[in-house]
Parts: sequence; structure tokens; C-alpha cells
Amino acid sequence: MFGLRTHRSIRLAIAGVVTVGVAASLAACSSSGGDTASTASAENPVQITFQSWVPNIDQAVDAFNASHDDVKVTLETVTAGPDGGYAKMLSAVQAGNPADVAQLGYDAIPDFLVNDALEDITDYVGDSSDLFVPWQWDTGVFNDKVYAVPQASGPLGQFYRKDIFDSLGIAYPTTWDEYYQAAKTIHASDPNKYITAFAFNQAPWLIGLSQQGGANWFSTSDDAWNVDIADASTLKVAEFWQKLIDEGLVKIEADFSSEWNADIQNGNVATWISGSWADAILRGTAPDTAGKWAVGAMPQWQAGQDVSATWAGGSASAVLKGSKHPKEAAEFALWLNSDPESVNILTNVGAGWPAIADTSQITSLQNDPDVFSFYGGQDIWDVFAASDAAVDTSWKWPPLSSTLFSSLTDNVKSAVEGGTPLTDAYTKTQDDMVAALKAKGISVN
Amino acid sequence: MTLTATRPKRRFRPALWVLTLPFVIMFALFFIAPIIYAIVDSLFSTKASGLGFGAPEKVFVFLDNYTAALSTPSFVESLGRLLLFSLIEVPLMVVTALGLALLLESARARWPRFFRVLYFVPYGVPGVIAALLWGFLYIPATSPVLQGLAAVGIDIDPLSSSGVLFAIANIALWGFAGYNMLILIAALNAIPTELYEAARIDGASEWSITWNIKLPLVRPSVILVTVFTIIGTLQLFVEPLVLRPLTTAISSDFTPNLAAYNQSFAEGNPSLAAAMAVIVAVIGFVFSFGFLRLVNRKGNRAW
Repeated sequence: MFGLRTHRSIRLAIAGVVTVGVAASLAACSSSGGDTASTASAENPVQITFQSWVPNIDQAVDAFNASHDDVKVTLETVTAGPDGGYAKMLSAVQAGNPADVAQLGYDAIPDFLVNDALEDITDYVGDSSDLFVPWQWDTGVFNDKVYAVPQASGPLGQFYRKDIFDSLGIAYPTTWDEYYQAAKTIHASDPNKYITAFAFNQAPWLIGLSQQGGANWFSTSDDAWNVDIADASTLKVAEFWQKLIDEGLVKIEADFSSEWNADIQNGNVATWISGSWADAILRGTAPDTAGKWAVGAMPQWQAGQDVSATWAGGSASAVLKGSKHPKEAAEFALWLNSDPESVNILTNVGAGWPAIADTSQITSLQNDPDVFSFYGGQDIWDVFAASDAAVDTSWKWPPLSSTLFSSLTDNVKSAVEGGTPLTDAYTKTQDDMVAALKAKGISVN
Repeated sequence: MTLTATRPKRRFRPALWVLTLPFVIMFALFFIAPIIYAIVDSLFSTKASGLGFGAPEKVFVFLDNYTAALSTPSFVESLGRLLLFSLIEVPLMVVTALGLALLLESARARWPRFFRVLYFVPYGVPGVIAALLWGFLYIPATSPVLQGLAAVGIDIDPLSSSGVLFAIANIALWGFAGYNMLILIAALNAIPTELYEAARIDGASEWSITWNIKLPLVRPSVILVTVFTIIGTLQLFVEPLVLRPLTTAISSDFTPNLAAYNQSFAEGNPSLAAAMAVIVAVIGFVFSFGFLRLVNRKGNRAW
């Protein structure tokens, strides 16, 4: 069947197979100029598409559709942002057929602006800033133009297994020194048990820890960016975690991985520092541990301080460039994130800590039996309300945050893997980030 | 083609055109066009200015993306890693597939059909699913195999930096050995049985029949399998992508394809991704054709 002339057909086969590989890896890069006119037509009802990854957010969309006759919103579920959702949105903008409203992390908004992918919605929602917490509103404002309506922030708190802490006689660690002592006690009690997982895969987690340590990586002056990733505060935080890694007190493990899920369920990992929305993830991942968890504030670097941070800021709704109905899309974004009925639903499904200034009508923050019983009757929202108030609101997200995330996790991974100092990972990320910004033509001081 | 004088006159044959046109169109649209697009795209770059909040513009940068890719240490490392992986994977695959084929086609094989199907079944499992399954088997927390080994005092970590290439090679071997085996079995079946009879009459042993008859006659298929494996390893992508969250040993640019994917989808730089893809394609051509030239040189029949 394979005669002497085989190599000719082999060559054809090679050509084919190589081509398939190249074609497949590049298919998604193709684009055609997006020149769709953005005219808000008067047709009734106007059809809007909304892309989001928040589970059960369809309840809020349904509520909008039930209360509006002239606009109908269709929800399209996408993968969570950095894992493919953003790529899908950006490709659609390039191809000229984007969804109208997109769920964007605060960290991604500058990135989308660099790609010219957001509509200026100042004319439609510009006078609604009073409804929102000022720093959250500001995450969507650039050059005095509004590009996004904030939805919710992700103030950090520490979820911990109260039963484990109690049985070992450890008090809740209010400082990082106490945290280190607790880590030693927990690991000494059982070699399989660790105070937490060192989540090398989570840039928002690593950044949140640095931010809480007092770092402020990005600022602007003279129309150029100042990048300060390897500042003293960051290096102090890195050295602290280096100590825990070197002494084998934390488990080097990606959170959200199957291994981590198992460890959260069986109590091998006793704490998890995460955003307020993580309560829903914990309840979903480890339902059998109900009643054993509690939430506390972030440990402090100095006793008596009250400094907190966020998990990559929070989330917003933005109108994508090329939307055929930007006015209606912006109005939907505003309603979704400010109408008390909607915000109540969003809070309930775990979208995060509401961005609206007045939360007095948000009943799900006052009494949510499902949530509170999982945490042994604790009103965990008290903790996150305090955390949200203690966030350093001057933190700015840079353009190319995706490069920052990918570079930081790669560098931290290789430090952990190669046994090189964790502090090097941050100096390397500083260099990578400056180089990436300059390569893109962006000014860096 | 020196017989032009006696060749019958070219006639217009509509059937030929009707039958090949759909292929030609599809081929041009989905193979040729994307390649041209990739090459063109790799010569451009999008540039922002100032703080980066204005609209970016597309500028012609000629070969800058190629220099950028080849001067990125992690990308060059990924090319080296790929080469190392090929050195592990290609011989392992060819020897395994050939070994299985010879075993199943030997006169003494028991239930050859059953085993043929058994070895081929993994090929039907999609790559992502296979990588996920192996991922579970590679992590101590979820792997009954590793837990069993640990219980008797053997601690191995397949996803450590020293083991991860072998761990990936194992997944690829498991998935494709049966497929390559079938190609080789087909070639073995095509060998006329008279050759074996003649050899046996001459007193040849099973071993010398294998060495002197079977192996030389399946040589073209072995070459085919080798080339397919070289191409397959150059496109290494799914396994590291799926295993990446499970270990610190796999970075986002572990293989060149993964690096291109990362540039395109995480770092928003499709032009650099296109340049990386073109580099991988060129290497693919060089390696495959280089190998073919090597094995098909005149007088090179001894391999």
C-alpha cells in the first residue's frame, strides 16, 4: 500500500498538516475593519446583547426585561475575563459585530481602551456619578470621559476554618506575624495541613497582597506612566511569603485547581484570602464544610492598622465599540448596576460588593440565611463593608494589565520552581512591564 | 514527462473542474488565505501613544516582530524545549508503534484484533479530555496511582520541572501510539506471504525474518509515522495548556505554540503571535523535509 513513490504523498501530507496548525493558531487573529454605524434607531423594542460570566446574572437581566418594554436584553454567557472572555469580546469588536454591553474587570478597562474597544458613554450616563462610590465610578473615567458603569468591587477578606483554629487553640491572626505563627502551629499539627495555598497562578491575589502591604504600582505624571512594581512595600511582602515557602508552611498550589478544591473540602488548606464574592465559590466548592468557616479582616503589617485591598479592583459594565444601540446599552448598564432590585439580585448571586453609594435598600446584605448559616451565623458582610472602606483607592490599573498578569504569574512560577528569590520575580515583572508599555508606544517616565 | 510528442491532445474536461473546484476554493480560503494573512499581519504592529487611552494605529514594522520573538529569551527557550521534547517523543513513539505492530502481526499473537482495538481506543479520546484525565493521575491529591506508590515509600512527582516533559510525552504516546501502529500494521499486511514462506524454507528464524524482510519493507511507513510525529510534537499545545494550572513547571510560553496563544489571547499582541506561528511553521517545514532528505538520500538504505 505504500509504494516507492510514497514520499511525494508524504510531502503533500506534511504541507497539509503544517498548514492546519498555522491556520488554526491564527484563525482567531483575523479581523475586518469594524465600521458599523452606531445609530440608536427608534425601533421598538431595541435588542441588546449583554456578555457576562457572573453565574445567575440572568436573574437581573430577566428583572430588567420585565420592567422595560422598549428594550430587550439577551444574556450571552462567556468565560471569565482573562480566561478567554476578553479575547472573545475584543475579536468581536475587531470583526465589527460586538455584543452591546460587556462585563469587564476594573483592571481590564484601560486594556480595552488601548485596543479602542469601548464607546464613550458620557452623554448617556455622565450625570449619574452620584449614585456610586467615587473611587469605583472613577475606574471607568479617562480624560473626563465615561467608559464604564461600575458594578461591584472585590474587597479582600480572609476566609478561615474556624473549627481548625479553635481545635488548635489559635486565635484569629490580626497581624502577619501572628499569621506566620498560626502557619507554624497548623503545619506542626499535621504535615498535610497548611495555613493556605500559595496561589502562584493568581496575579490578582499576588497584586492584592502587595497592595495591602502599601504598594502602589502605577501612577501617571506628565502624560506618562510611572511603573513601580518592585518598590519596598512589595519586596517586604515578597520576603514574607518567601519565608513561608522556604519553611514549607504554605502549599504551593494553584487555587481553583482540582487539587485545591480537594484541599478546601478536606481541610488541608485552612484559610483563603479572597474577594467578597468568594463566599459563593466556597459554598459551591465545599458544601459539606458548612458551619465550619468564618471570615476575618486581612492580617495587618502593624498591629492596630486597618489597611485592605481588592481582588483586581472589581467589575463593571461597559458598552463595546461598534454597538448599534449605545444609548440603550448604556442605560441598561446603568440600571443593572444601580437599580436597587437589580443590585439586590447581583449581591445575592455573588457579583461582589455593590458599587452604589447607598446600600441601605440592599436587603441581601442585611439578612441572607443561606450565606450566614454557611459561616456559622456570622454576618460576613460586616467584614467586607469594613474592608471596602479600608481600600487604598488611589490604586490605578495600567494599560496592558493582561501583560502584567501573565508576566507576574510566569515570573513567580519560575522563582518558585527554580528556587530563586521571589523578590527577583517582582524586579523582572517591573522590567517586563516597562518594556511592554514602551513596545506598544506608551510613554513611561 | 518527456513524452510530450505522443501525449494525447489536452481536452477540456468539465467534470474534472466541477469535482476539484470546491476543494480548491476551500483550500484557498481556509489554508492559503490564513497563511498569507498571518505573514502580512506579522509585519505590522499596533501602536498606542501617550498614556495609551487614545485610539491605536497600525504601523508597518517589517521584521520587528520576528526580531522581538527571537530576542525574547523565554521564546527561544521554548524552541529548545520543543527540540528536547522531539528527541524524547519521536524515537519513543516510533519504537513503541513499531513494537506493537510487530507483536500483533507476529504468527504467535493471541487475540490480535482485540488488542488492536484496545491500543487504538485512546486515539478516540479528545486531546483535552486525555490531558485532563492524566492531570488527575499526575497530582498526588487526586491520583490513586501516586497515592499507592507513596504508601510503599515511592514518591514521584510527574509534574516537577525534571519530569514534566516525560509526563507530556506519556500523554502523547498513550494517545497516538495505537494510531501509528495501525499504519504500520497495514504496511505489514501488504507484505506478500510468499516472502515469509521462502525465508522459512531457507531456514530463517522469526528474528531474522523481522529484521531482513518486515523492517525493510515497512520502511516507507516508518518514515511516514516519523514525519507525522515530528509535526505533531512541533505543534505541542493542548497538553501543556491543560496541565499549566497544576504545576509551576509550565509557564505561559512553555512551547512556541503556547507562547503564540498567550501573545494573542492574554497579551493582546496578535501580530507578534503571527510572527511566532510563522517561525514554528518554518521550523516544521525544515525539520520534516530535512528528515525526508536524510532518509531518502541515494544509497541510504541501511538507516
